[in-house]
Amino acid sequence: MSQPVAPVRHVLIEGNKSYHNITEDLCSPTEKAPSREWIVAFSLAAALTGFYFFCVSWTIWKGIGSWNLNRTVNWGWDITNFVWWIGIGHAGTLISAILLLFRQRWRTGVNRAAEAMTIFAVMCAGQFPLIHMGRLWLAFFIFPFPNTRGPLWVNFNSPLLWDVFAISTYFSVSLLFWYTGLVPDLATVRDRAAGFRRKMYDIFSFGWTGSAKHWQRWESLSLILAGLSTPLVLSVHTIVSFDFATSVIPGWHTTIFPPYFVAGAIFSGFAMVQTLMLITRKVLHLEEYITINHIESMNKVIVMTGTIVGVAYLTELFVAWYSGYIYEQFAFYNRVFGIYWWSYFGMMFCNVVSPQLFWSRKIRRSIWWTFFLSIVVNVGMWFERFVIIATTLARDYLPSSWSYYSPSWVEIGLFIGTIGLFFFLFLIFTRVAPVVAVAEVKSILKVAGDQYIGPNAKHAHAHSHKAAVKTHTED
Amino acid sequence: MHQEKGIWVSAEELNRDEAFLQSAQKEFSVENIAETDGQWTANRRDFLKMMGFGLGAATIAASCEIPMKRAIPYVTKPDEIVPGVANYFASSFVQGGDYCAVLVKTREGRPIKIEGNSLSKVTKGGTSARAQAVVLSLYDTRRIKTAAAVNKGELADMNWADLDKKITGQLALGGQIRIISSTNISPTAKKALGEFVAKYPNTRVITYDAVSSAALLAANEQCFGLKALPSYHFDKAEVIVSLGADFLGTWISPVEYARAYAERRKISDPKKATMSRHYQVESHMSLTGSNADHRVLIKPSEMGAAVCALYNEVAALTGAAAIGGPKVNDKAAKALKGAARDLVAAKGKSLVVSGSNNIAEQVIVNKINDLLGNLNATVDFGTLSYQRQGDERDMERLIGEMSAGQVGLAIVWGANPAFDLPNADKFKAAFAKVNTRISFSGTMDETTALCNYSAPTHHLLESWGDAQPKEGHYSLIQPTIAPLFDTRQAELSLLIWAGSPNLNLQDPQPYYQYLKSAWTSDLQSKQNKYSPVAFWEMSLHDGIFEAPVSGRTVSFNSGATLNSGAVSKPASAEVEISFYETVNIGNGQYAHNPWLQEMPDPVHRTVWGNYLSIPVEWDGVNEINGWKGLNDGDNVEVEVNGKKLTCTVVKTFGQPAGTVSIALGQGRESGGCGTGFGVNVNPWLPVSGGLVQYHAAATVSGKTGVDKQFACVQHHHTMGVQAMGKEEGAIINADEKSLGWKGFQGSLTSRSVIFQADLKDLPGLVDQMTEFHKEAKHLNEQTLYPDNTDYFGTGVKWGMYIDLNSCIGCGACQVACVSENNIPVVGKAEVNRHHEMTWLRIDRYFYGDLENPKVVYQPMMCQHCDNAPCENVCPVNATNHSMEGLNQMAYNRCIGTRYCANNCPYKVRRFNWLDYTTADVWPANEERVFWVEGEDKPFYADNLVRMVLNPDVTVRSRGVIEKCSFCIQRIQEGKLTAKRESRAILDNDVRSACQTACPTGAIVFGNLNNPESAVVKARESVGALAYQALEEINVRPGVQYSAKIRNSSDTSAS
Repeated sequence: MSQPVAPVRHVLIEGNKSYHNITEDLCSPTEKAPSREWIVAFSLAAALTGFYFFCVSWTIWKGIGSWNLNRTVNWGWDITNFVWWIGIGHAGTLISAILLLFRQRWRTGVNRAAEAMTIFAVMCAGQFPLIHMGRLWLAFFIFPFPNTRGPLWVNFNSPLLWDVFAISTYFSVSLLFWYTGLVPDLATVRDRAAGFRRKMYDIFSFGWTGSAKHWQRWESLSLILAGLSTPLVLSVHTIVSFDFATSVIPGWHTTIFPPYFVAGAIFSGFAMVQTLMLITRKVLHLEEYITINHIESMNKVIVMTGTIVGVAYLTELFVAWYSGYIYEQFAFYNRVFGIYWWSYFGMMFCNVVSPQLFWSRKIRRSIWWTFFLSIVVNVGMWFERFVIIATTLARDYLPSSWSYYSPSWVEIGLFIGTIGLFFFLFLIFTRVAPVVAVAEVKSILKVAGDQYIGPNAKHAHAHSHKAAVKTHTED
Repeated sequence: MHQEKGIWVSAEELNRDEAFLQSAQKEFSVENIAETDGQWTANRRDFLKMMGFGLGAATIAASCEIPMKRAIPYVTKPDEIVPGVANYFASSFVQGGDYCAVLVKTREGRPIKIEGNSLSKVTKGGTSARAQAVVLSLYDTRRIKTAAAVNKGELADMNWADLDKKITGQLALGGQIRIISSTNISPTAKKALGEFVAKYPNTRVITYDAVSSAALLAANEQCFGLKALPSYHFDKAEVIVSLGADFLGTWISPVEYARAYAERRKISDPKKATMSRHYQVESHMSLTGSNADHRVLIKPSEMGAAVCALYNEVAALTGAAAIGGPKVNDKAAKALKGAARDLVAAKGKSLVVSGSNNIAEQVIVNKINDLLGNLNATVDFGTLSYQRQGDERDMERLIGEMSAGQVGLAIVWGANPAFDLPNADKFKAAFAKVNTRISFSGTMDETTALCNYSAPTHHLLESWGDAQPKEGHYSLIQPTIAPLFDTRQAELSLLIWAGSPNLNLQDPQPYYQYLKSAWTSDLQSKQNKYSPVAFWEMSLHDGIFEAPVSGRTVSFNSGATLNSGAVSKPASAEVEISFYETVNIGNGQYAHNPWLQEMPDPVHRTVWGNYLSIPVEWDGVNEINGWKGLNDGDNVEVEVNGKKLTCTVVKTFGQPAGTVSIALGQGRESGGCGTGFGVNVNPWLPVSGGLVQYHAAATVSGKTGVDKQFACVQHHHTMGVQAMGKEEGAIINADEKSLGWKGFQGSLTSRSVIFQADLKDLPGLVDQMTEFHKEAKHLNEQTLYPDNTDYFGTGVKWGMYIDLNSCIGCGACQVACVSENNIPVVGKAEVNRHHEMTWLRIDRYFYGDLENPKVVYQPMMCQHCDNAPCENVCPVNATNHSMEGLNQMAYNRCIGTRYCANNCPYKVRRFNWLDYTTADVWPANEERVFWVEGEDKPFYADNLVRMVLNPDVTVRSRGVIEKCSFCIQRIQEGKLTAKRESRAILDNDVRSACQTACPTGAIVFGNLNNPESAVVKARESVGALAYQALEEINVRPGVQYSAKIRNSSDTSAS
């Protein structure tokens, strides 16, 4: 059990937790009556979700003409939101898979919630490619299935079709990964429950008994899924970026998009994890599991990816200038100084300038700064997608067709509505499953618990060992 | 059944098994075959299947309302109607003096499309937007359905017999009778009128035109003794000076002039190119002015000064005496000097025309033509034109008579004086004093509302008739559909009221007989090719009949004095306003046609209304602002002669400082879809010497509000206009500098969208374009993908060539496209949201000097790229490429992701944002599609309107993309014709709608793989001047343009 622990490692579990304490702390939110904050938040989220479905119905009933898109700008908030949500959905898999491979222990505190966030974000993202269709009721045309129309196949050359595969694959793998992780924890909840709840959790935990064979299979599956999803982290946003990169429109047609989109996605994903976790740890009193150290680690990722994004922005400008190609030059000139200059400056400020504050350790470890900047980053990433989509389309090749676009209330409603939907799902999640992976946190207790390492560690090794064993048996 | 011997087929039979024997005796087994086969399970499944299907079908049938379509078969099928095969009837488009020889395409008995009649020597197969749109007005729901009594604008239906009785009773009273009419070019109608006048000798016919040419007629009478118009030969003119005459757009006979003009403007060989030179002296930018080599900018009131200046310059060069006159501004004076020099150099081969309504000015212009030796050459009185005959001074006199109560009965025929007269108020008051007021109008217009009786005439496409636009050019009008309503042709009404003995009322078509006998008696003798019967048949078949003309020559009457004192004097007003007729709306005659209302004005590109053009100002640094800081869509209050109106402004390049302008014809008060759009500026028109003047002094307020539905289809208007930069101290590209903060020089003019040059720089342009083609080719070869240039090497490859040099921007092609392809009208609010649906648009770019820019028109439609960016991005393969190089749309497959529209470099794809055609399965969003105000259902939901739809073209539903198909239905028809005739497809088998509509032949469509085709020949003749828009991005368009060439003079300023 006891491993040599480098003193430089951060404490990741505070409060001298025993295994029992961990179980108690993490499972109790699913067992108690919801707090007032939760009820208020949930009501608000449910109302927004309702408004979302109203706006969707409105769109379908009235037609895409209820949006303010036009003959020149055929995509606006719809695809901006799509790419934004997909980007947010990147942190979960990154934390689950890539950080696992890099043996980053701090991931255990946030991976469950981050994966849940991924799934809900992808669900929100997946709405937009559907509802932006002129004829949603024929959406099944995008699936390659044998049919009696020839058979008439989908167009395998179209990046939109690649999106269908990329996103559905990503969603399935993320969902499996998340659920696999949940199974032992659901069993823990089951073991503490009685009656109908116990029956339900029994079903959802697939009869988990905690036998060695179960753990062994569980670990194998986790590993396989981690292996599968690692390339997905890179591929999904790469493919989303192909929507733009393979086109012929200056400002879209750039080879830099895949890495730039992936970095941006991780950037915004982590920012969203921060936003969520800062609220969750406060509301569910998980400060001892999601510590300042966790937050700092994620802030480091944010400052790094933010800088990558910044480099990408500058590279774009350089390449546009260097290409000597007037359409490209104009497209980027127009981004910076054209009619939508404010969105470009918003993007630059939020995504490139603001994360640089995280070079300061004080800011990096400040809850309020982190929370504020995580919001700023998400706003910035939304601007980025808007800049890429609307600004580019508004002024492309033929000056005669240049136009301007601003959203209608329906489009704004759809965006706000998906935020509602996202929180609606997330809040339900906090009520039915442990928000922090119980089993995984327990697995790092000995190497990251504050009674073992850090300034408050109790150096009586035998004592702690015994205490741990004791709690384990109690559990 | 006891057999000892015999044949047995089984052991049971041999053993005489009882059960078997029983069953063998029965012919039909009672047992269920399935049962004996042990197939009970299948039966249960069948049952479930049947039940499932039955329940499903019943549910669907019960829950969905299946639309009921009534179809009534012919009892006796007419011989000439074959379902699916179009019939073409030669006819004429006539509206007042507007004339165009046409072919009317009918399908299953419905007229659906207008084509030009190439047999006509006047219009030579060209059409105008107005002519193209006439089919829609046939199906106008606001047409008056039957004879009616009118009381305060309300119709009370009557039957015709009662009406005739009442009116003949009134006629018999013997009071003064007046017929108010616009120019009437029908000889037979005039004959009918003659009979009416003979019967009621106290009748006088008052003719005036909605936009007047009275001064020109009066001047011709003074100078040549002929109150008529000459034929102007723009094709014979090397130098043209137009003093405010919009001869390509609206003046007298634009289709005829445009064709002739374009003949001299086409470049067929860049090595020995010649072109006419065209000066346009004007204030507001007209369609003609936008095509000119030099626009000489004057204030509207300076026209008289400009005429005198030009005269004096020409006189100085030809040795005639100067006449003095007011002074024109210095820039214009300099330009006119140059123009005069060019004119004199091309003596006898030049032409000066004037749109002025000032007799003195027109006399001077006639004298200029005389000095230049243009009389009997380019100004040809040997073939008179009858297309303008009106004189508003007669109306003035009539108003006096009516106010004095001297008129007992008035008939209004083809005119709308209560709207289009400058003193309409006076007219209305005087008209009310006429005892019996009858209107022939087919719709409830402002004048009909004031009448007592409405005797609605047929629509043109239901009528018999004829036209004589010019001496010796006769043109027939024949009905292409039985009258939709209980209307009666105006000529017939007159003949009936006159009790004409030449009318056989027993005949089912009395006016047809009347017309036929008129032609046989009057015209038959003018030819000797055909027998009387054959003459009529041939004339009807061809639609036209050309008779020899006198070949009269004229000389300038020495008695006609050049009175430089009577020309218009430059006004001292700070702001002057000029009024003009637009290509699409006229002076309101066409305001109720949605196709024309939604056709963008060629110069301003605005729709649905008239907008006050204000000049733009360059601040010298980086901003191009509207005058007074006004912006497109701002409302201002304009006061002219003490009358105030609120107008919406549109910033217009080329509008001289200190002037504004606004179109006539909008602000209709009643009658149809145009009601309520724009403002009626007719009351602002001043009258001088009885003649309407089209300019005045005005005061314009600051911004008073915003028109939230300001509808303009183009928002960036320029392609690099230049002006003096204060920082640079040199002429810079102001347009590019105004884009964003400090601008990016080269961002617009370097785009390979438009190529243009001056004729004298043509070799340079050829070199530049050769270099460009080379570079584009090089770039396009840098591809990882296998080259597929040979893919279209065999068979047919469709393509188009558009000659920007002969495209004048008139918009006929655009309306033709709307008509041919069932393109919906979306209304002002939707155009404001940039949701217009036109497949073909005419991009208009200003370039050159910011204050006096030049213009290039570029018809832009789907380019049918062979490497189409739209095709590869569609996830469901809804758009794909044909073997013949067509970019096709499968509407049924389209799910509306709009990715293709984003990825189209030309932005020609149109999305059905709403259910514009009401073709959707559920009528969900009808409130936002196009409605004519006051109707109870959307425009396209009306069965009458839907009759205009082309049955060969799918009506698109909500949520799908559509775009130009190169008239795939015409291609298919041409291919079928060729196949049926077992031959290869010929060049003439397929001609696109835009091509046939074009009056100047700017659009050529055909098979690029046929070296003999017109399209290939036209493309090759211009060599390197032919280019593809955005050639270097390797989308390989199927459309080629030719560079725009201007023939400007070195010596003239501007």
